[in-house]
Amino acid sequence: MQHIYRAIFALCFGLLCLPGYGQQAEKTITGTFTRLRFEQFATQVEAQTNFHFYFDPKTVDSLFVTVEAQAQPLRAVLYKALQNTNFRFAIDDENRVFVTAGAAINPTLPGEFYDAKAAGPGTALADDPTEAGTPGRSHLVSASEYKVYEIGGPGSGSGKATLAGHIRDQKTGEPMIGASIYSESPNIGASTDPFGYFSLTLPVGRYDLKIRGVGIKNTKRQVVLRGDGKLEIEVEEDIVTLKEVVIEAEKDKNVSGMQMGLEKLDIKTMRQVPTAFGETDILRVIMTLPGVKTVGEGSTGLNVRGGATDQNLILFNDATIYNPSHLFGFFSAFNPDILQGVELYKSAIPAKYGGRLASVLDITTREGNKKKLAGSGGIGPLTSRLTLEGPLVKDKSSFIVSGRASYSDWILKQLSDKNFAQSSAAFYDITAHISHEFNEKNSLYATGYFSSDRFRLASDTTYHYTNQTATLKWRHNFTNQLYGVLTGTYSHYAYDVTTTKNEVTASQLKYAIGQTGLRADFSYFPNARHTVDFGASSLLYDIAPGSFTPLGAKSLIKTNILGQEKALESALYASDKFDITPRFSVSVGLRYSFFQALGPREVYQYAPGEARSEATIIDTVRYASNKVLATYHGPEYRLSTRYSLSDNSSVKASYTRTRQYIHQLTNTASVSPTDVWKLSDNNIRPQVGDQYSIGYYRNFKANTIEFSIETYYKTLRDFVDYKSGATLVLNHHIETDIINAEGKAYGVEFFVKKLTGKLNGWVGYTYSRSLVQVNAATTSDMVNGGNYYPSNFDKPHDVTLVGNYRFSRRFSTSLNFNYSTGRPITLPLAKYYLGNSLRVYYSDRNEYRVPDYYRVDLAFNIEGSHKVKKLAHSSWTVGVYNLTGRRNPYSIYFKSVNGQIKGYQLSIFGQPIPTVTYNFKF
Amino acid sequence: MRVFSFLVRRVLPWSLALLGACTDPYMPEAVTSPPSYLVVDGYLNPLGISTIKLSRTFAIASKATPPTETKATVYIEDEAGTRTLLRESPAGTYTSAFLTLNPARKYRLHLNTLAGKEYASDYVPVKITPPIDGVNWQAENSGLSIYVNAHDATNTTQYYRWETDETWEIHPVYSPSVEYVGNAMRPIVVSFPSICWGNTHSSALQLFKTTALTQDVVANYRLRQLAFNSEQLHVRYSILVQQHALTKPEYDYWELLRKNTESIGSLFDPQPAQLTGNVRCLSSPTDLTLGFIGAHSVTEKRIFITPQELPSNWHTLSGYETCQPPDTVSLYPPPPAPTPAEILASTFNPATGLLPIMPIYAATGAKVLAYTAKSRDCVDCRTRGASTKPSYWP
Repeated sequence: MQHIYRAIFALCFGLLCLPGYGQQAEKTITGTFTRLRFEQFATQVEAQTNFHFYFDPKTVDSLFVTVEAQAQPLRAVLYKALQNTNFRFAIDDENRVFVTAGAAINPTLPGEFYDAKAAGPGTALADDPTEAGTPGRSHLVSASEYKVYEIGGPGSGSGKATLAGHIRDQKTGEPMIGASIYSESPNIGASTDPFGYFSLTLPVGRYDLKIRGVGIKNTKRQVVLRGDGKLEIEVEEDIVTLKEVVIEAEKDKNVSGMQMGLEKLDIKTMRQVPTAFGETDILRVIMTLPGVKTVGEGSTGLNVRGGATDQNLILFNDATIYNPSHLFGFFSAFNPDILQGVELYKSAIPAKYGGRLASVLDITTREGNKKKLAGSGGIGPLTSRLTLEGPLVKDKSSFIVSGRASYSDWILKQLSDKNFAQSSAAFYDITAHISHEFNEKNSLYATGYFSSDRFRLASDTTYHYTNQTATLKWRHNFTNQLYGVLTGTYSHYAYDVTTTKNEVTASQLKYAIGQTGLRADFSYFPNARHTVDFGASSLLYDIAPGSFTPLGAKSLIKTNILGQEKALESALYASDKFDITPRFSVSVGLRYSFFQALGPREVYQYAPGEARSEATIIDTVRYASNKVLATYHGPEYRLSTRYSLSDNSSVKASYTRTRQYIHQLTNTASVSPTDVWKLSDNNIRPQVGDQYSIGYYRNFKANTIEFSIETYYKTLRDFVDYKSGATLVLNHHIETDIINAEGKAYGVEFFVKKLTGKLNGWVGYTYSRSLVQVNAATTSDMVNGGNYYPSNFDKPHDVTLVGNYRFSRRFSTSLNFNYSTGRPITLPLAKYYLGNSLRVYYSDRNEYRVPDYYRVDLAFNIEGSHKVKKLAHSSWTVGVYNLTGRRNPYSIYFKSVNGQIKGYQLSIFGQPIPTVTYNFKF
Repeated sequence: MRVFSFLVRRVLPWSLALLGACTDPYMPEAVTSPPSYLVVDGYLNPLGISTIKLSRTFAIASKATPPTETKATVYIEDEAGTRTLLRESPAGTYTSAFLTLNPARKYRLHLNTLAGKEYASDYVPVKITPPIDGVNWQAENSGLSIYVNAHDATNTTQYYRWETDETWEIHPVYSPSVEYVGNAMRPIVVSFPSICWGNTHSSALQLFKTTALTQDVVANYRLRQLAFNSEQLHVRYSILVQQHALTKPEYDYWELLRKNTESIGSLFDPQPAQLTGNVRCLSSPTDLTLGFIGAHSVTEKRIFITPQELPSNWHTLSGYETCQPPDTVSLYPPPPAPTPAEILASTFNPATGLLPIMPIYAATGAKVLAYTAKSRDCVDCRTRGASTKPSYWP
């Protein structure tokens, strides 16, 4: 009985008992008002509700109202109706609405509670529609909003105090990442880290702390801060992707955030983007962002701001993923059901990260429901997936396990073509994540990931590759202001190619890379103006660069094994984000990285001044086990700064240096599963990149529309390019086929994002160039005479539109549009007879371009009913990929047919591809 | 990247067939209207006859022979301007008289085309090629390998290129006694040759440099490998090795050309490189010219190999294994049958490519029941070589 009383009390307290705060169970307004004179509008509203309007008829005689409302509170409706006028409104306790020109009147007594609450449509009111006690809102959460929390012992004096704690989902107990908590006056805020943890230092006093986050309902907490203390916050999930969700989440991050060149996407946004196979694909969505390109649509290789595909650090819960694709890149290796979100750093890379030149793609998984067992899944045309999550110890620990498998194999078997029936193509991946909170100070997280791809051709060759990663993370809070995370990671990627049909040539080609890492990261919040991060990390690489071995007793294949490669990459870093004034802040960071290539190994030495080739090997040096054969080290500077021009516009600039010690060897135009990774050594220097960028950011319409222009200039040193005719597989002297290239890239990115309202989405335009120069000492190694030439992924113009129109809460439609300049290509232009043979005359490298790329996709999402309590929530996605059926070239190749060389273009999605996917959640 | 190139060509088509993938011809304008650049092929021989071939680049989809550049004025020129003219014969091939060039001077090729354009190569130093120390061969498990040895005591040659010219004897298995001429069978008038000599000039580029060695010595550089049952070794085989001493730029040129020749420009093959050489158009510098003209002498050495010298367990093929037994053309097949004349006319014509070998008589008497026959390639060894005995053949 008691809890019922408590619930009733909470309900009462939350919804009725604070009329002064405008939290009445006010009647909502529904209707479409089109160019209605204000007086008429007021009359109609008064008829629907118990509000009474007060205004001067003379001032409003030219005011016309055009607004559409669907069971919305008056505040929201008025706000919308008046937002582009100079009229303001205020609502008092007695449901009196005052409409005035210019400034809003303050109908209430001054006081902490009323603090400009009812004035609109200024900034304060922008939040209000969601703050109203909407039906169905958790009583607990509502109750906590009105409770006043006292933090710190009484009478612990003046000065500043630090408030720390977690923001968690009230239903599942999962941490909310990137949620912000802030006080509006003074304007001080913090956002939660990947653990949902925040630390906020404020002068002692009384505050209204507002909490905003992706996919959660806005809330607030009232605190009286007397000293350092803890505040655990539980927030409500927003079940359907509501317009408010995303806006409020990153509301003014665009302008006020320190970080530039950071793209953050949550899984809900990603789900709206139509894909070829109906399944949410994280990498495909990333590709729609400005500054991110790919060579072909069947490829998951990302080219970020003129960087090569190997220059992206792809982290899956902190473990490096070496091949992020399934089935030739038609699917990305990440199951959407387990993902929390993704962050892409493309210019100012935090000092914490290093090891790749162009970008960091940080993918995080969800933590699992800490309160009850739940599940979700989906059925698509080629794959199905299932996720299960729940508590191990209620509120303390949870697990989440998710699996995905393809049944393309089964489809192939159904085809009448014999070649297809003999072929197979299958993949699956499994992710498991466990989190446990020992106590307030200690938490442990473990993630395991395994993916496998296997395909056999109509012929006899089987390709197989696997990704394995494991992460173990221990987080310890030393004090409110200091916490540390110790992370151990393991990543392994391997492929093999097996041929068995002919017993005599039966063979297996294998490659494997393993990486074991340990890192310690600390965050220290000395006061509200400084955030200090520091730490150290070390990675041990172990590569089996290739082995070619016979299979079966009858095979005559000669065994060919390349020597093992080993190296240790370590780094120390520290950075400080310093808010010099509320308008001006800087972040200064330094990362120092060391690289040691380790034995046992045999290393060739080459005659100086000659092009490296087998003929110029002058010596072979043997190094014993764990002997250092080459050392490289250097500083990596990470600087960024922000200056706010006004509340809704700012300028940011950054400079980033990065160093990369591991190189992907691929001289095919796109990434292939059989690409190999090679460590720096005596003959291959590390790559170094410098990027300068500056940007202007502005938000419009109360932060609902974000606009940014970023421009960058980037130089790259010593990245790998290949000599003509390079052999990359099973090459004992790979350095003879590699040249160190220089590169430069520059561009400007325009981006407009609207993540609110019925119509939302983003439009991006990028003009960018990516140029390479190979000016080797020897002419035979030069490319294009040592001049700059376009890289494989130099596509100057790129326009992307991702749009979503929501007809109702249950029905929405999405549209993708993508245009880009065709990719560069080297063409065989003519043939000629020389040296007793027919030769082909090629154009300069990448002198020509393939036809422009152009694609439109359309999808409809139909959500099930929105009863909060029902067995399962389900949704359907029906889509058409490549609506216009344009034949965009994926690959262009030339082959000799009867002595004639002819060109062909292969289009992967040469016609519209319809898909249907069913998703569910229970 | 062979593996992936294979992958892409073979796998993608089927995996994509499911998705509506399609292949269309792709011949952009740059490829269909190719440039017509001058190609200069040859070298200046300071101790002998220089031969320069002039042709033009042509469309990659063309099946024609390369267009030759005729009626050009071609001469060798030294830095002082002294010129020696080359004469054209046959069309597009320009040869000098036997020349001796001064090794202390630099030379270039200078030419004016009929269209009035002027071209010249860079001035290049003269290199005198050292003699070939030996061409030897070895019977190995995999077959026969032919090696070349050379050295330069002055350490100045360093960059080598070799060409090979192989000749072998061919003995056809049939010697027809009849021929079908003018719709009638008759005893053969001019017998088919009983021996021919096959010949190929190497198209593979054989290059080696000794810059990584302490001495300028080429030791057992393998030029050629023949299978142990190779038909070229069946009767008598000869290989002529021609050695060219190159300058470093010329060596680099040929090395790049060799790598370029290995692929034909699929995006999944290694990146090809643009390659021009050291010849330039003086009258219009934007006109590219292909080819590298160096100045060096040539030394050569020929060896012979007979089956008697090969390991006794090597059984070389004659190349005519599939030609036996002969076919039989019966003149009197079971009825209903055409007349013998009709049978002969329909059998021995260019469309079938068959040639008669000899008549088959009835057991009693001289009535011809049938003829043995086989394709021209089995009968006439001139399909596989020339019937004129080379002057160097023993």
